[in-house]
Order: sequence, then structure tokens, then C-alpha cells
Amino acid sequence: MTQPILSLRGITKHFGGVKALTDVSLDLEPGKVVALVGDNGAGKSTLVKVMSGVHRPDSGTYLFEGREVAASNPAEVADMGVQTVYQDLALCDNLDAVQNLFLGRELTGPWYTGYRVSRAAAEKRAKEVLKRLRLDSISLTRNVGAMSGGQRQNIAIARSILWEPKVVLLDEPTAALSHSAAEQVGDLVRELASHGLAVLVISHDIHHFVLDNTDRIEVLRLGRNAASFNSKDVTGEQVVNAMVGGNEAVNMAG
Amino acid sequence: MTDASIPPTPTATPTRSLTERLGNELSFVPVAVGLIALFLFFATQSDVFLTSRNLSNLLVQSTVTGIIALGLVFVLLTGEIDLSVAATSGVASVFMAKLVMDFGLPVPLAILAGVALGGLVGAASARWVTLIGVPSFVVTLGVGLVLNGIQLLLLPRTGRYNLMNSGVDQLAATHVTGPMAWGLVLCAIVLFALVMGSTWRSRQRAGLSASFNAGVLLPVVIVALFLVGVLVFLENQRGLPMPVILFLALLGVMSYIASETRFGTYLYAIGNNAEAARRAGIKVDRIKITAFAIAGCMAAFGGILSASRSLGVSVSSGGGVGGGALLLESIAAAVIGGVSLFGGRGMVVGALFGALIIATVSNGLNLMGVANEARLIVTGLLLVVAVSIDRGIERLARPG
Repeated sequence: MTQPILSLRGITKHFGGVKALTDVSLDLEPGKVVALVGDNGAGKSTLVKVMSGVHRPDSGTYLFEGREVAASNPAEVADMGVQTVYQDLALCDNLDAVQNLFLGRELTGPWYTGYRVSRAAAEKRAKEVLKRLRLDSISLTRNVGAMSGGQRQNIAIARSILWEPKVVLLDEPTAALSHSAAEQVGDLVRELASHGLAVLVISHDIHHFVLDNTDRIEVLRLGRNAASFNSKDVTGEQVVNAMVGGNEAVNMAG
Repeated sequence: MTDASIPPTPTATPTRSLTERLGNELSFVPVAVGLIALFLFFATQSDVFLTSRNLSNLLVQSTVTGIIALGLVFVLLTGEIDLSVAATSGVASVFMAKLVMDFGLPVPLAILAGVALGGLVGAASARWVTLIGVPSFVVTLGVGLVLNGIQLLLLPRTGRYNLMNSGVDQLAATHVTGPMAWGLVLCAIVLFALVMGSTWRSRQRAGLSASFNAGVLLPVVIVALFLVGVLVFLENQRGLPMPVILFLALLGVMSYIASETRFGTYLYAIGNNAEAARRAGIKVDRIKITAFAIAGCMAAFGGILSASRSLGVSVSSGGGVGGGALLLESIAAAVIGGVSLFGGRGMVVGALFGALIIATVSNGLNLMGVANEARLIVTGLLLVVAVSIDRGIERLARPG
């Protein structure tokens, strides 16, 4: 078993009287895709926000590369090598793929050009990255607003790995996508893992997306660890069962 | 157009449709076509229209609106609006005149002080907008009225500073002729060619698709033809008027800032998705304040140029109370030029075309002997048509 790169131990987070997370533990290993599933309100998003530094846990330990870290703000966590792609993607529709990939981190020329943006260098770099991720079909010069949902999702993911993080957290990457677009995202997720990244995916699409594209499934229920499955030897029904708890789940899944 | 030098690298990149390009780097084409159509129309209606004396007038007429619109484009790109630009231009020109006439400040210093005041006003409005989170149109509406009041306070009891022979009048009255004018035009063309050429060369070095004909030759030829055309036409009049030179120079600088710098990219990013820009680490407030400050500086400079042309400042400088026609025409110039009021879309060069269209309509209808009310009606309709065309292109460029 490979050493986890990111480990959470006994994470508890309450918002007033609401117990969002209670004693939750989670490991992410390099080269592995972990699915985080759970019913609405199970604490998935809160957990991702703890991991990305948006929320500070009330108690528990955040270990990165074996060391305990504070993870108290998002920029710090991103610099450490943990990138998060939120559901809204945060793309600018009036800019093209290259501009979106480098937004806020443009490569620039010398002072006498007025720190002119080095478009060619950025485009070259973007091309290499997209090629490595097998996303060559994405146009570099079209506005992302004119692209399909799957392509936009993939650009957002590509942007998160442009500066070579070690961990990528994906919040509902397939929620608004068609079946074929979700497959494109699935391909990309496995591609990321094959490059040695640790990937965490939140998804509701258990039967199509989670079982096909992940290595392990972590189930949260009512803010606690409910189950952990190896994706290869589990059925969708078993996962759904663990999500909602008890036998009534079988009927729902059927 | 054939592809020069290296063949484009084979990728699965789909070609971009015409509508998509019209929505982006070619967004000025419809308005340029409209301008040519207007020229042809007025040329058939009046023998005087295409004379160099008239075109010289027309160009100079467009500069004040054009310069104010140039600055406004930056603010509009971020999705905000500044309704105080006309009032800023008025108060800055009166401030400048007061410094010259009452305090005997040298003209260049007074002009600098006026421009700085405009920048300060813009920055202050934007600071307020970003700090409190009030819509910019309300804040700048209020600021505009405040400035109108200050303008009245700054004016002497006569209500007017006469700038005849004050030195300020030289700004608009100067004409550049002969080798000097040709030198200027040549400089401008060479600078433009350098910018386009360096883009092409860096793409070629990086092994990216780069077409010399489409990327360098064609734009440079168009710009050169335009500038040489203007020069040849105005040379047999009195040469290049200083306001036109200043307008075109500012246009070049502002275009470069918008399309080539980080700041320019951020203007577009913020106008489309401010939250995404913020999360990408862009200091949204600071960019907006800078955009408003630039708009304030440009408005002030436009006002000073206007004062220099009309040889004085008065109550009606800056379009009078509320900004009047000057405010509306400045906004209209930017919008007719293809700049979206909702932010994130448009090009700086649109301000040139928009201002030229407004000046052409007013000039042409005057020559036809049409009354002022018709001019307002036509300009208003043009605005509506321009925005509608823009909307149509935007819809067509969407997926699906």
C-alpha cells in the first residue's frame, strides 16, 4: 500500500448546532482516484472545504506528506500543492482556453514592453499540458463560452494542474454534464492519476461515473465515515445502501 | 491570404466561425462598414462633404467625444459605468483655466494638474463603489452633480474664463505639417509593425501556427493606409491638427494596454466573471479603481482639449449640468463602437469608430441643411441599431 500524501484524522466541524462532520478520516494516495459519496447533507462539500483550507476544522489533524499542517487559508493550501476545482468552474467565458489557464498568473515580457503578456509562451505551455492530458481536441483560441460543458470542465481541471499540484479535489465535476461529456471527464480523471496525482472526486453518479473511474469509494453519512469500498468489488446497490443506511436503500437503488 | 513560412501545426482545432470572430477580434468590422456607408451616403448628398477642409473639421469634432469614450471603454469593460465623465471634463477644464488665469501657472503644469484632478475624481468614485458595494451608476451620477456644483464655484462672477492668447489655445490650434507630419505617421506605422511583428515572431519561435500575411502584413497595411490617407487628405489643408494626433496616439496606447497587458486581460476577465477573477488571485477592486482613474484622466484631458478649441471655459463646459449631450455622446460612441454595457466585450478602437460615426452624422446632416432635432433622432436610432447588431452577433456566437 502506497503512503497517503494527504491524510485527515478525526476531523470534526460544527456550524452552531449543526454537526457537519464528526470524527471523519480520509486518505488520498498518489496515483489513486478516490470517490467521496453521500446523500445530500452528508458533509461532502464541508469536507472538501476543510481540505482546501476554506473551513478550519474544530478538531482533528490535517497531514500533508506526513507532516501536520495548519491549512488555514485557500491560497496557502493551493501553494502547498492541493488544488480544488469547484462546481461553478470559475471560467471567464469571454476569454479563450489559454487566457483562462493562465488567468492571474500570466507570463510577461520585460518592462519596456509594459510587461506585455507573453501569449506565445503561454500557448506553447498550454498545448503541452493539454496534450499530456490527451485533451488536444480543445481549441486554444476559441472563447470558452462557446465550448461544451465537458470541455469547460476539462479546462477547469487542466488549469488546476498547470502548476503541478500533488492533489486535486473535484467538486461534482459531472453534475451538469451529459453522459458522453461525463465520460470525457472520467477519462481525464484517470489520466491525472496515471501521472501520479492523488485525486478526490465528489459525485452523485455512482453507476456510471464512480464505479468506472475510481479506485476507492468513501461513503459519508450524516457527517461520519459510513463505509469504504474497493471500486472493483462493489455494486452500485451496496454503495447506495451505505449512503442512506439500512435496508430501505435497496428499494431506492432498484 | 496564403500562409507564409511554416505550415500550421496539425491539430484537431475546429476553425472558428465568422460570427465567433465578429464577436471577438473583428468586433469593430460592422461599425467600420457602417461608417463607410455613411461616408458614401453623405458624399452623394453634399459636394462639400468629402473636401479635405470638411473632413479635417469632422476629425477634430470627433476628438473630444472620442477621447472621453476611450477612457470610458476601460470602465465599461469591467462591467461598471461612469456617468460623471462629462462633468469631470468640465470641472477639470475650469480648474486648469483657473490655475492659468488666476494663479499664473505655466500652461503645461496647469494641464497636468487638470488631468490629475480627473484621475483623482475617478479613483475616488471607484473607491467608494468598491468599498460600499453601491452600483457605480448611482455613485457617479451623484459625483457628476457634485462636480457640476464645484465647476460653478470655481468660475469667476462673469461665469467664464477667456483662454484666447493664454497659451492653452495653442493646444488645439497647432498643426503639424511637412516632414514632421510624415515622420510622425512613419513612427506610428513602425511602432505598430513592431508590435504585430514581435507577436508573429514569438509564435513562430514557439512552433505555433503563425501567418505573416494575416497577422502582420494585412493589419499593418490597413493601419498605414488609414494614417497616410488622413495625412494626405489633411496636408493640403493646414496639416495634421494636434487634437487628431493626440487622439490617435492615445488610441494606440490604450489599445495596447487593453489587448497586450495583464491589466487589459483583467479588465475583460472582471467584466465577464468578477468572482472567477477574484479566485484567480486578481485584485478586482484595485483594477476597477485604476480603470476609473484612467477614465477620469481621459475625460479631464478631453475637457481641456475642448476648452482649448472653444477658447474658453464656462458654465456649459463639460456639457452643462448633468453632462448633457457630451455625456450621452461619449457613452454612445463607446457602445456604437461595439463595447458592451454589460462588461467584458468590445475593443478600444471601437471608441474611434463610434466617435467618428457620431461626428459624421452631425456633420453630414448639417451640410444637408437638416435641423438639429433630426440629428438627435438619427444619432439615437443609430445607437439602437448598433446595439441590436451587437446583440445579434453575440447570440450567434453562442454554442448550440
